[in-house]
Amino acid sequence: MKKTVEIFILVIGLVFWVGCATAFGQTTINPDTVCTNAVAEQYFVTNTPTSTYNWAVTGGGGTIQTGQGTNAITVDWGGISALYTNAIEVTESNAAGCPGLPILLDIFVLDLTSNTIGPFCPGDPSASLVGNPAGGTWSGTGVTGNNFDPTVGIGNYTLTYVLAGCNTTINVIVNSGPVTGPIQHF
Amino acid sequence: MKQLLTIILLVFTITAYSQCVSNQSTTITPAGPYQPGDIVTVTYTLGDFTGIFINWIHAFEIDLSPSWINLTPITTPLNPAGSAGNWVWDLQHTFVGGLNFGPGWRFNNTANVDWGTASEGPFTMSFTVEVAPTCTADILNISMLVIDDCTTGGWTGGGGACCADPAFQIYNGLVLPDQISTSLIYHY
Repeated sequence: MKKTVEIFILVIGLVFWVGCATAFGQTTINPDTVCTNAVAEQYFVTNTPTSTYNWAVTGGGGTIQTGQGTNAITVDWGGISALYTNAIEVTESNAAGCPGLPILLDIFVLDLTSNTIGPFCPGDPSASLVGNPAGGTWSGTGVTGNNFDPTVGIGNYTLTYVLAGCNTTINVIVNSGPVTGPIQHF
Repeated sequence: MKQLLTIILLVFTITAYSQCVSNQSTTITPAGPYQPGDIVTVTYTLGDFTGIFINWIHAFEIDLSPSWINLTPITTPLNPAGSAGNWVWDLQHTFVGGLNFGPGWRFNNTANVDWGTASEGPFTMSFTVEVAPTCTADILNISMLVIDDCTTGGWTGGGGACCADPAFQIYNGLVLPDQISTSLIYHY
């Protein structure tokens, strides 16, 4: 039960994050979310030209790529999905070298997974698409909501699951059925 | 009993007479509080010096807390109706009696190098001083100490009673370091 509540809160947070990110192109929601193995993720604080900034990234396989000492950095993240508390820390020092209070940000490294479905035959019923964590959206040919309808026709389809700016894909095959000739009378 | 009364009276007399300075005033601009890097200008005036036992005024010592730097003299005091000589700026000087002086102005008596000046003032002087870089709310203190030539050891003919005026407080406060306010971390 506790785990369910935790996931629910996370999903709500992620949905809210998506909304904010879409609207403003940036976020201060804590925790922040990144995709596994994301590269060149940009983080910044409001710049004071006479200040210097000391950044530290701990956990999540994160490494600072550029910008140490400035108000903005880029970070590459690792591949282990988890919530990393205080993963990013920045301390501003003014021109006199006096440090301010550290500013912290938790990071959730998000790894999307989904179920595999198929292969199908053209007449098969719809199949459920399950993304993990839940709360994302499915897209692709033959997708309606969280279902794939094989009646879309014969083919190889790539379906995409998107959540919090991360995505994962699956391939679904709808095979042709046997071609049966007319009944003949000898 | 009479003997005790005499001693008490003597002590009282010396104490009362040991106050040689009067009418001290000062201005400090800009007004505090101060931040690191601020430069202030101090003007100090001693309206009158009346030495006991022919003690003459000999030096003005500026006492600064460690959070001040770059002390610079601007205006040297005059020597109205004083002895031959001039006021000189010194960062450090050891007087004949061993008194370690400085920084400030000391009188260079050309007739007797160990004496001060017979001038009773007024004496006006000014200087600038800067608040040192710091990250903490350090003490900022400026005071002026007037020293007679009895205290410096240059004049011993007065019977040994020197002026004992306390240092005059010019400024007493704390450094206000810049407040660093960092925004939240944003993510593009």
